[in-house]
Amino acid sequence: MAEERGKWGIAHIFASFNNTIITITDLSGAETVTKSSGGMVVKQDRNESSPYAAMQMAATVAQNAREKGITGVHVRVRAPGRGKQRSPGPGAQAAIRALARAGIQIGRIEDVTPVPHDGIRGKGGRRGRRV
Amino acid sequence: MEETVITMAIQEIKISSNRIGALIGKAGSIKREIEEKTGVSIQIDSHEGLVVVEGDDPVRVLTTIELVRAISRGFSPERAFRLLEDEEVMLDVIDLSDLASSPRQLERLRGRIIGKGGTSRAQIEDMTGTSISVYGKTVAIIGLPGQIKTARSAVEMLLQGVPHEHVYAFLDRKKKEAKHDMLEYYY
Repeated sequence: MAEERGKWGIAHIFASFNNTIITITDLSGAETVTKSSGGMVVKQDRNESSPYAAMQMAATVAQNAREKGITGVHVRVRAPGRGKQRSPGPGAQAAIRALARAGIQIGRIEDVTPVPHDGIRGKGGRRGRRV
Repeated sequence: MEETVITMAIQEIKISSNRIGALIGKAGSIKREIEEKTGVSIQIDSHEGLVVVEGDDPVRVLTTIELVRAISRGFSPERAFRLLEDEEVMLDVIDLSDLASSPRQLERLRGRIIGKGGTSRAQIEDMTGTSISVYGKTVAIIGLPGQIKTARSAVEMLLQGVPHEHVYAFLDRKKKEAKHDMLEYYY
């Protein structure tokens, strides 16, 4: 049992090299409670994936979630995956830390990056990427 | 669901068997040092190379996983401990396996990044303030997010075949920009 009977949710964190998207849903994952993305907190496009932006996003998301009665979240981190890179971008770590610091309890942390059982051909053609 | 175990966080990571020794240290000294510094417990299966990190604070567990990953990517524990110094310091791993089709080509790419006697790597480390480890099929970088971004693009330039002088010039330019950008980046 959690100390005070609060509701738990799931924080879906999608972290690519170009953006970070945080969505908090209920435990079924079907109902979105609150969400935020890079473009909502920074002006320059290249900063959308920065850890600083992720921290701000996590802070606003945490506040909204708390107002709706969510006291803890399980975290699902996701990188672009499939044909693209499989390690989460710079925003993921920062977002989790900021969520924890904003007073949201963190439950399980899970990596849900889609990994193909050998799926598609890598980007770049036969001779690789040329500049 | 199972609310009794919610306060415990467990994460696993698989590392290559030749780095197990570096992670454990002489008579377990490094392992113990990590456990003391982070307050988590680490179990190492030296046959399988499976490392299980367990602790109360999920954030701590996560940083410890990063630390273990850094050590498994060729960093000496002393250099990897930089990850614990500051919350902002991160680890970035560049995979070379898709870029090289043969072991010889991989060796050539590694050589380009490291340079003669490590000069090129030292130069990138110096100019960006990062630590870089070239190990096996990966290049790992430890530093602040902005520093990592610069170091990463420098390494990518070298991998694409840009001459070293051009990369150094790029780093020089970036170093000057970094000072100017510092204010803009945070606001």
